[in-house]
Amino acid sequence: MAVAATISQRKRIKRKAPRGFLKRVFKRQKPHLRLEASCDLLVHLNCLLFIRRLAEEARTDACKNKCGVIKDQHVLAAAKVMLKKSRG
Amino acid sequence: MADSDISDNEPTTRTLLRRVLDTEAPRTPRRRQSTRAGVQRTPLGTPFSMRLRSQTKTTAGRQPHRARSIGRLAHTQTRGQLKEQTPRTLLENILLTAPESSMVMPESVVKPVPAPQGVQFSRRESSPGSLELQLPELNAPATLAPGRLTSGRRKKRLRLSEFQQGMDQGLPLSQGPVTEPPGNTGASSLSSSLNLTFATPLLPQSVQRPGLARRPLTRRAVDVGIFLQDLQDTSVATALPGDRTPVATLPTDTVLEDTQPFSQPLIGCSPSVHHSIPSPSLSAERTVSRRTWSSGPGLQNNSPRKPAQLLAGKAEEVDALAMGFPNTSSSTSGEDGLEPLLGGVGEEVEERMEESMSLSEVKEAAGAQASARAEEPEAHTEVAEAEGSWGATEEKEPEGSSGDKDTEARPELASSTPEFPQARQLEFLEPAPPTSTAVLSSEPLEPLSARLPTRVQTAGPRLRQDPYKMGLSHYAKLFSFYAKMPMEKKALEMVEKCLDKYFQRLCDDLDVFAAHAGRKTVRLEDLELLMRRQGLVTDRVSLHVLVEQHLPLEYRQLLIPCAFSGNTVFPAQ
Repeated sequence: MAVAATISQRKRIKRKAPRGFLKRVFKRQKPHLRLEASCDLLVHLNCLLFIRRLAEEARTDACKNKCGVIKDQHVLAAAKVMLKKSRG
Repeated sequence: MADSDISDNEPTTRTLLRRVLDTEAPRTPRRRQSTRAGVQRTPLGTPFSMRLRSQTKTTAGRQPHRARSIGRLAHTQTRGQLKEQTPRTLLENILLTAPESSMVMPESVVKPVPAPQGVQFSRRESSPGSLELQLPELNAPATLAPGRLTSGRRKKRLRLSEFQQGMDQGLPLSQGPVTEPPGNTGASSLSSSLNLTFATPLLPQSVQRPGLARRPLTRRAVDVGIFLQDLQDTSVATALPGDRTPVATLPTDTVLEDTQPFSQPLIGCSPSVHHSIPSPSLSAERTVSRRTWSSGPGLQNNSPRKPAQLLAGKAEEVDALAMGFPNTSSSTSGEDGLEPLLGGVGEEVEERMEESMSLSEVKEAAGAQASARAEEPEAHTEVAEAEGSWGATEEKEPEGSSGDKDTEARPELASSTPEFPQARQLEFLEPAPPTSTAVLSSEPLEPLSARLPTRVQTAGPRLRQDPYKMGLSHYAKLFSFYAKMPMEKKALEMVEKCLDKYFQRLCDDLDVFAAHAGRKTVRLEDLELLMRRQGLVTDRVSLHVLVEQHLPLEYRQLLIPCAFSGNTVFPAQ
């Protein structure tokens, strides 16, 4: 397949998704469920977007408090907001 | 042209020649032109091609060379016998006369080959311009023999190595018959090569992995040292604390005899004393800092696990520390030498400690603590028994002071040790210097065998937690990258906690969505629905756009269906 041909050219993927880790986490949480083939990649995408938004939120929190360093209380506040947003 | 056909990779000469004969009609005028062009090349190539041709019969391996040699042979032959014999006829003769050569049995082929080759050689000799060819022809049979010998050598080598492995008696026996047959040039070389083969099987194993051959030595030295130190410490500890002795003796005995984690509650208070002893012995003079206390016992706990850790791949640090060991002869000098080492390591340990403290609430930490506690007393008791060289006075003094602090340090240690593999390894390295100084004097290797069974048991619960934490830390690093601002370590721990909660929520949502669709498998549409509800996917921004923006190309190809040649779509919908 053409996909295989292109992948073989570049064997090292930058920012690999920890597919095994995600699969294991899901299995541990929901042993009765099964994940489809490429679903863990979308889960990884979801995590990336979540972390990105969380980082943005934490950065704005820290800047609001005129802190040059992100502290755990900033992260906590940001996480509260984000988890509420990512309720689904 | 025949050359073009020949240049294709074919499995055997035979098929190649057949192809040539089938496809190409005899075109002698063109051949002559090509031979004139190729004449310049052929004088250089003929000896090489002849030899190759002879060798290819024995070893079916080099197809392109064979192809070229065949082409050049054709050229030379036409040049030599201008119109008498075409390459086509020659090739046909080859096909008729030469037997099928297989890779498995080169020797059987070798014998019939000289016969047809001799026929061909005679033909060439008859040609007027083939004087040059005579030399390579003579060389060819000579080269045949060594080729045969090499193949024989290879076969013989295997048998000889088997003999050697089996018994020493087989060596002279096998050597006898082997040296007899090669009466040719290679007789002495054969025997010498045979002699070499006896030696070679041993070498490659160590040469391939030189690092592993050396590692066990360093490992044992350290472990034994810790063992001895702990033994001495326990012996001293039992002598000093009067109120603690009854408690200490019981758990130590139980710990020594049965290494199950359920023996923790008995060991609860006493092991802390034992833990305190080894570290204070060396770090007594040092400014008592939480990290050194915690690092000391924690390090010793991890010392039995050290071999396993080393195998994981941190032998470099151990070697570096091992180098530092000889520098520290006495305890005081050892401490000074250790300080810089520990100073650099202690910072990271402190960080780990802080992280571990905050994360100790997690259930996993509690489980790890239990296992860690079980591991620690085992290690300490064993090591204490082995030791005997340290001055008891040094240990007596710090015991009383360290006893209080160790109890505080213990829970931190327990949580810290299992959680962070890096910290653990660093902790391993830390106890190595203090223990090695005592170890270097005289360390028997006996305690290792006693420790091996304990190591295996502790491997289980630790591994369960590590990959999970490692996965979370992977995402935490991404967080620090996205934030583009310096962050505290506590903030990273907080991020990991949030990620944990997020994963739980994610799994629950996916479960609900799949159940709503009446499925037991989570599919892509479930995930798309989740992202839509989260507000990531909108009418303006589709899932494919997000995939293209944030995922690398390889994953993009797996997720977004794309049309390929041959009217195929991947991934299939």
